[in-house]
Amino acid sequence: MNRRSTIRRLFTRLPRWKRMLLAGLMLALVLGLVLSLALLAWPTRHSTPPAAQASNGGFAGLGRAAEGFTQARPGQVLRFPEDHGAHPGFRTEWWYLTANLHDEQGRPLGVQWTLFRQALAPPLAPRGTSEAAGMTNPWASNQLWMAHAAVSQGEEHVVAERLSRGSPDGLAGPAGVRAAPFAAWVDDWQLTGTVPSALSSTADALSQLSVSATLDEATRYRLTLTAKGPLVAHGEAGFSQKAADGQGSFYYSQPFYQAEGEVTLNGETHRVSGRAWLDREWSSQLLGEAQQGWDWLSLHLADGSKLMAFRLRGGAADEGNAQDDSADYLSGSLISTDGILTPLGPTELSLTPLAESSVAGRRLPTRWRLEVPGQGLDLTIAARNPNRWMTTQVPYWEGAVTVAGPDGRPRGEGYLEMTGY
Amino acid sequence: MITGRRSPRLVSRMAPHLVPHLAMARTALITLLSHYRRHPGQLAMLLVGLWVASALWSGVQAINASARDSYARAEALLSPRLERLERRDGAPLGYADFTTLRRAGLPVSPLIEGTIELNDGQRLNVLGIEPLSLPAGGIGEDRRTGNGGEDGANPLGLLQPPGQTRLAPETLATLNFSPGERPITAGGERLPPLVIDAQLPPGTLLVDIARAAELLKRGPRIDTLLLAPGTPAALPAAYRRTPAAQGLSPGQLTESFHLNLTAMGLLALVVGLLIVHAALGLALEQRLGLLRTLRALGVPGRTLVALLAVELVLLGLAGTLPGILAGLWLANILLPDVAASLEALFSASVGASLSLPWHFWAGSLAITLGGLATAGLGMLWRTARLDILALGHALSSHADSRRRQRRQAGLATLAWVFALGLWAWPAPSGTPSLIAGFAMVALALAGSALALPVLLGAALEGLKRCLGGNSPRTALIRWALADLQLQLPRLQLAMMALLLALATNLGVTGMVGGFRLTFLDWLDQRLVADLYLRPPPAAYDSWRDWLETRPEIATLLERRETDTRLIGAEGERPVALQGISADPALTASWPLLATLNADRAAAWQSLREGAALINEQLAIATGLAPGDMLTLASPSGPFTAQVAGIYPDYGNPRGEVTLTVERLIQRFAAKPGSMGLVLTPGLAAADEAALRQRLTRPLPASGEALAPSLVDQRSVHRQARQVFERTFAVTRALTGLTLGVAALALFTGLLAQARERRARLAPLWALGLGRTTLLGVTLAQLGGLALATALLALPLGVALNWALVAEINVAAFGWRLPLHVFPAAWVQALGLAVLVALLAAALPAWRLWRAPPRQLLEEFSAS
Repeated sequence: MNRRSTIRRLFTRLPRWKRMLLAGLMLALVLGLVLSLALLAWPTRHSTPPAAQASNGGFAGLGRAAEGFTQARPGQVLRFPEDHGAHPGFRTEWWYLTANLHDEQGRPLGVQWTLFRQALAPPLAPRGTSEAAGMTNPWASNQLWMAHAAVSQGEEHVVAERLSRGSPDGLAGPAGVRAAPFAAWVDDWQLTGTVPSALSSTADALSQLSVSATLDEATRYRLTLTAKGPLVAHGEAGFSQKAADGQGSFYYSQPFYQAEGEVTLNGETHRVSGRAWLDREWSSQLLGEAQQGWDWLSLHLADGSKLMAFRLRGGAADEGNAQDDSADYLSGSLISTDGILTPLGPTELSLTPLAESSVAGRRLPTRWRLEVPGQGLDLTIAARNPNRWMTTQVPYWEGAVTVAGPDGRPRGEGYLEMTGY
Repeated sequence: MITGRRSPRLVSRMAPHLVPHLAMARTALITLLSHYRRHPGQLAMLLVGLWVASALWSGVQAINASARDSYARAEALLSPRLERLERRDGAPLGYADFTTLRRAGLPVSPLIEGTIELNDGQRLNVLGIEPLSLPAGGIGEDRRTGNGGEDGANPLGLLQPPGQTRLAPETLATLNFSPGERPITAGGERLPPLVIDAQLPPGTLLVDIARAAELLKRGPRIDTLLLAPGTPAALPAAYRRTPAAQGLSPGQLTESFHLNLTAMGLLALVVGLLIVHAALGLALEQRLGLLRTLRALGVPGRTLVALLAVELVLLGLAGTLPGILAGLWLANILLPDVAASLEALFSASVGASLSLPWHFWAGSLAITLGGLATAGLGMLWRTARLDILALGHALSSHADSRRRQRRQAGLATLAWVFALGLWAWPAPSGTPSLIAGFAMVALALAGSALALPVLLGAALEGLKRCLGGNSPRTALIRWALADLQLQLPRLQLAMMALLLALATNLGVTGMVGGFRLTFLDWLDQRLVADLYLRPPPAAYDSWRDWLETRPEIATLLERRETDTRLIGAEGERPVALQGISADPALTASWPLLATLNADRAAAWQSLREGAALINEQLAIATGLAPGDMLTLASPSGPFTAQVAGIYPDYGNPRGEVTLTVERLIQRFAAKPGSMGLVLTPGLAAADEAALRQRLTRPLPASGEALAPSLVDQRSVHRQARQVFERTFAVTRALTGLTLGVAALALFTGLLAQARERRARLAPLWALGLGRTTLLGVTLAQLGGLALATALLALPLGVALNWALVAEINVAAFGWRLPLHVFPAAWVQALGLAVLVALLAAALPAWRLWRAPPRQLLEEFSAS
């Protein structure tokens, strides 16, 4: 109070013009302040509080609860060729092809072709705001298709992605899958059955395929795949459990492809040949609520047998005997040369990271030890090159691996996928 | 204040030698500023001049900046770099085309554009996109991928049921909804929940293509396929790229409109700065003695200049900042009109609320302060060269002012020579002709303003010579003229401001008035039908067949439009193509500017036989004249036709070619358009009402569910007139304000010299002249001066009017208007000038009238 009255006294003691000047200066100052404040406030005028983040639900939302979708349950028999096609009642589905190839000079070259289907809403949900009277709307679809392709050799790793919405029933759209004659496509990328029609009644639709993709102007591939063995169903006749609480998926594979074709990588064309593996899997809730991601292996062993193994990280322990360290869920399949499949339960195999690499700003295990004591297998698996990060909308690691025995001798090759890092 | 007292001590501890210097500077500054205490009128004049100048300038700039922000967002929405595809056979694109091209590996993305009506009657643009296939950068990278979108921009946000309706914050504000709500359309459909997206242009709703197809009832049909730039050239044979130039961006189209506004703003700034210049000159002249005293007391010249510069900055800030605020207020008032006319003229959506980038503030401040600096530089220069010993001499001696007059006359002549040069020799190609036009006008105005004092001085001199006889009355008149000559240097800037404002007012009023006459005539000639009907495309033929049988309808005038390219020697350019029924009902009144051999009937006959008419815009842009051949791209190869005539096409920003509607159907596969219905003369009102009623319902025979849209001629007329009025509302507001500024300049100028005037008049009073006579003389002097200025402004105004209709409009919009002259406006301008001068003189005169004899006597003791 005292101070203020002093100021006032000083102010009133000033001659009139000084008072006017002072007042004018104050006014200019205040206006300047207001203006600069307005300036500061302006850019944020339009900003709105960030929308609440949807709950994560594990890697790519695969752990979200699945009301309204069909649940994968054991006991259902796989039917072909119908099950080669899409299962819109389930939320997630994929056609997953990886190929360990070698070029004319014997240098290893990896190829990936993957088509994912994701339902944006349960099939019974209303499709749009309303159906216009008498008009079909080909754009209305709850299905999202996502295709990934990769070609990698040495330091080179070219990745591409294509997205599309689903097509209406009875109309061929830019993306989709047809069970017979088999075809899966997004834009000009396609995986097509080439079984001659004369054989179509006896041979499986997936036994002969042609796959092609154009990643960019300088990278593309076209391969023909010939199955040298039968389809194999994982887990309980195709039901593959993915968590201790019984969550799981339908899962079968064709691991016996002989691949031939042409790959152009960054402008250089190679004749290639090698082995390929196709996975078919669909479910509505692949991961348990607490699972973060998985590490998955498909191996072509030197003796002609095949080995599939995966580790789902977290959520395996029941609530009663929660043990933090052993919370991973492991499973696998050993497939003999003639296609006999031996399921490997959580206790029958172990998968241990040996060394990590720094990839795309993350730490990822790129050297593993896979033990199946009951089958006398003790394998060391190492990425051919740690630089195999898939820079897609849902990023993950996918690359070729070498397999070695305990003595260090090569025991085969395969593919490793690591998600949720 | 307490700390302020302590500061000298603080300073003295740091730099003892600075203290006396600082103290001196402070005292000197206070002494300098004390001038404004004695002459508050001058301070007011300075501040008002700055205030007005910066208000008008920043107001116009705020409008421009807001509009440009809207265009930038519109362009960012769909990058003009995206190519568009069309079918070679001209058929509409659909889902099947999208699928075919995607499967062929082409990264195309479909787009649906349209308008919906909400249940409260509000109409909004709807843009339906396919977020998954849209090329990167097409609609802002983060909207596509969802990376770092603060608005919850999820890549699937649009797609994931229930989807999203994205809209600009301005649009949301006009809708009265909050984010997340779902407005209902007039058709009863619910929009997906609203989500704010600040990157979108105002007035546009962005939804997923599936929602857009439902809302706009499109089924599988789409409007266009977008293609990422740089996609390999090869396209499937059935498709081709739509020429990229087709989509002229709103920024390009409206450039001329904004240049017009900027020119008006610049004029207002100049007029405002004239006031400032006058006030500063006065303040310096009256402080010359003070400055000399300060110099004599030991204040260094450099310090004095620095102090005056400080004074300038203080005054500048105090005048400019409130000026910018006032400018914002002004822009807020004018923007809705500007937005509406931009929308109507160029279909460019502009938000009706201000949205200003940072550089607007910096720019407005810099321009006004820069203007102040140019006005103040002279003052600083003269201070720096101040001669201490030249005691008592008024700075502007008679010889000085003579010299200055001669210099001004020289400059004026130079400016006029340049202006005429610009008119006679067109600017080198590459310079936009609009800029050249404005430069010409600016030079002419500047030349006239500079010449004004010279001309006025010469006129006074001439009048003085003409006066013969030695009666007391002539003596008084001669004194009045001589006195006016003395006042002239002081009043010249205000008179210049008046001249500029009057000339602009006359020129713009003439242009707008002439345009209105021409435009309304043209509307009447073009709108010959009573009703305009747009049937749903699928039912077009059934409607036509039905209407042809109706007895109420005398003539059916079909009209279709499409787009094509004009193939010229130096490349292709997009043009609009319209097809009309060349029926006598229409052709009798349809205006033509030029035809071959000036034969209207022959021109129409050759149109029926396959010739083309082109609009004035196209004729000016391409140089095509009646008799020339033009070639258009058509789905079945090049189409060549003779130009039969040129027609005026006011309000259309694009070049247009007119053919018969039959040819448009045969050669260009034009989609069904609208029909003009000329009613049978003498139709009973009840029959007409029944027909109208009938025309708003679907045609039962066609099985079509949609009703046609019906507009009557009166509402087309009304709409066009509204657009017209809104377009020129801003122009008129600005010229009015400029005139107000000139009045203010005159007023403050007179106020500032009021005291001096008293000293001049006191001797006359002492010689026995009555106050009434003195007052009469003063008012007559000013009124006469203003009248003379206004008389000079008349030819300048007409010249400006001519420049606007014959040069600026042609360059800006592509149409030339006949020169209309409005003598009533001249009389009005003359009266206005005298009124402004008398009003401005009233207060000083009133003061003189009321001054007690003692004060008048004191004038003698003072000098």
